[in-house]
Amino acid sequence: MTGVVRQISLDEWDRQYESLQRAGARRPGYVGPLGRHVQDGDRGLVRLRFDNSPAALRLWNFLLTEEDRLRQARTEGKKIVGAMKDLGTVPVMAYSLDNVVAFYPDGAWWIPCVMELSAGLLGIADSLGIDESFCPVRAMLGAFVTEAHFPIPDLLSCSVGATCDDFSAIAQRLNGLGYPIFWWEIPHRRSPEPGETAIELPGGFVAPQSQIEFVKSELQRVAAALEELAGQSLDEAKLAVGIERANQVRDCLAELRLLAFTAEVCPIPALEMLIAEMLTIHFCSDQNESLAVLQELLEEVKSRVAAGVGLLGPDAARIFWVNPVADLQVMNLLEECGARICGTEYLFSHALDKIPEDVPPLEALAQTALADPMVGSAADRARRICADIRRFGAEAVLVSRIPGASHCALEGEVIRQVVADELDIAVLEIEVPPLTDSMCPALMTRLQALVETVRERRKK
Amino acid sequence: MGKIVYTCPYVPAEWVAAHGLVPSRVMVRTAGTSPAVGPKEGVCPYVRGFVDEVMSRNDVSGIVMTTVCDQMRRAFDIVVGRSKLPAFLMNVPNTWRSVAAQRLYVDELRRLSRFLVGLGGSAVSNGELAKVMLDYDTARSSLLAKRELMSGRQFAEMVAAFNMDGPGAVSANVAGCSAAPRGVPLAAVGGPMMAEDLDMFDVIEESGGRIVLDATESGERGICQRFDRRSIGDDPVTELAEAYFGGIQDASRRPNSGLYQWLKQHFEERGVRGVVLHRYVWCDMWHAELARLREWTDLPVLDVGVTGDCEADKHRAANQIGAFLEMLQ
Repeated sequence: MTGVVRQISLDEWDRQYESLQRAGARRPGYVGPLGRHVQDGDRGLVRLRFDNSPAALRLWNFLLTEEDRLRQARTEGKKIVGAMKDLGTVPVMAYSLDNVVAFYPDGAWWIPCVMELSAGLLGIADSLGIDESFCPVRAMLGAFVTEAHFPIPDLLSCSVGATCDDFSAIAQRLNGLGYPIFWWEIPHRRSPEPGETAIELPGGFVAPQSQIEFVKSELQRVAAALEELAGQSLDEAKLAVGIERANQVRDCLAELRLLAFTAEVCPIPALEMLIAEMLTIHFCSDQNESLAVLQELLEEVKSRVAAGVGLLGPDAARIFWVNPVADLQVMNLLEECGARICGTEYLFSHALDKIPEDVPPLEALAQTALADPMVGSAADRARRICADIRRFGAEAVLVSRIPGASHCALEGEVIRQVVADELDIAVLEIEVPPLTDSMCPALMTRLQALVETVRERRKK
Repeated sequence: MGKIVYTCPYVPAEWVAAHGLVPSRVMVRTAGTSPAVGPKEGVCPYVRGFVDEVMSRNDVSGIVMTTVCDQMRRAFDIVVGRSKLPAFLMNVPNTWRSVAAQRLYVDELRRLSRFLVGLGGSAVSNGELAKVMLDYDTARSSLLAKRELMSGRQFAEMVAAFNMDGPGAVSANVAGCSAAPRGVPLAAVGGPMMAEDLDMFDVIEESGGRIVLDATESGERGICQRFDRRSIGDDPVTELAEAYFGGIQDASRRPNSGLYQWLKQHFEERGVRGVVLHRYVWCDMWHAELARLREWTDLPVLDVGVTGDCEADKHRAANQIGAFLEMLQ
């Protein structure tokens, strides 16, 4: 375990890295000083504060070297799938094949933050008619055009239907620019009607069997496209093994989340937990290594919890965070204000839930896809948030609006109402653009007000 | 008879009418102002207007909304939460090329049928459905046949009247149309228009233009394709689905290549010389099409963004349209 748990700057990490090297620590080949990524253009990293454990160093390096792995995979003759929007379903299928890697092009939405806009991706999106009235995921368009951030996939899939209009429109724009896209439909999840067979989905939502059948048929089309790409069959046995492997990652993350969110003292910062959750969506282009990275992080957290050490004190305000932030720095701000994360719903809870292993694989994946909190009603999503708040003991909710996102304008009020009705705890809504530097004082003030509200309520 | 209100063109009026209920596809009058949908920022003015409109009416038995647009899908939550009216959310797939998507649309029609029966509608029979389809088809044909004799506003209002009140509204009104406006032939393209937006057509005509193609959702583009009358008798449900789901081309479809084929055909047929894209701020679907439309066509394209602030929108649009037509004349 790391000695004193604290968050350190990039410079401090680089000095600490040298010490680790001198001490002869053996690390995977992709682990190096974080400063090298700044030299490569990720200059936004200097604004962040990082957990000081070697496990966190490995996590960050793993995240920041994904492009290298994708290019290596191409060199090795593997096929590359860009799985857009579904957040955790198509990648499980792709990694069931031994000559396919999948990644998540939507992840390019963090490039403007990490590269402090220097990559010019938002400017390219602007020039293509996708301006700042769209979600920051529009950076993805620029990443495709420049080909500088990931190799162009051999197959691009995109789920549409009950998804946000921003992404659907941006994907269509990409398609219009000449990138073929395999579209598949995810219907709006609805409640079963009288006489319909109701199935409980991973995470607790319920859907009619007919919708599961429909999604299953869509995933069969996806499977056929993957088979054609890979030149090999994607049968039930392979899918079952793929699901089992994905569940190992999800199990590990579930244990990590439970410990991180419920320990008396916060054992790991919010930012590293956000990155850890992100790994489960598409495994950062290496499923086995993503498991190893998470396992090391889990061991670190276990040892910290056992020793009763961590960040902040036991009186830190316990916050449930809704939606991912476009500027990672904001996760640091939360801790600076005296709060910690005790529960999250970053739009992809379904990618964290265990995939059923007691039903045929495609049916299990269809259930998982339909469990996406964003394909159902905002009220459903809010009720799941409430259930997780109870489970993790959060004292307030922070809804972070994504600028321009079609869902954010309408869901905040619904979430606020449901949380108020069920739990009577404070809900704060903030908006987080890709770069918040100029807004930091105002954001801090709002976060501090939330922390104060939590503390006041404790006195009652 | 109970009135069923909706605004999405993929909800077939014939299906509602065949259940013995009154379909009424509303043309939203104005951008909504009620606090029901929360802050205005980020919310499409049309969605706000629709929520306000349906929640303020007392002559309605049920509301049908669809999943075609994400904000409308989410507004359904608000309507259900704040209104006592029975409401139904119909899944309309964005994909359209697979048999499964087409089947899902038909399945959703059948689910809608159960909702309508629950509101007091009668079970639908093929015979009744076929009869209703023929009535609507005839009315639509006569409406479209008179299009050239109408101004942009007259045509849009006639379509709105047909959508709101059914075939009777057409036969009562088309006879009086005889004055075809002149001017530079333009196409209006975009999502649905609110009644207050129709001023744009007046401005176009006052500035020397003429709408020869209303390719907005509330215009010709939002009208289903003609039925194959031979098929109606055999399998009216399939024919209905084909005419609506297969026949209405929209920016939301994935891929939306069909929209561009439809536009190409109509631009050529009508001799369109310029395009006015009417879109609401925060409507990502149509906003994203603006740049593509400009790349795709050699015609000049004018972007008219509507915020829902009627007076400001009107002045801005008038200036834009005036300059646009000056260039084209």
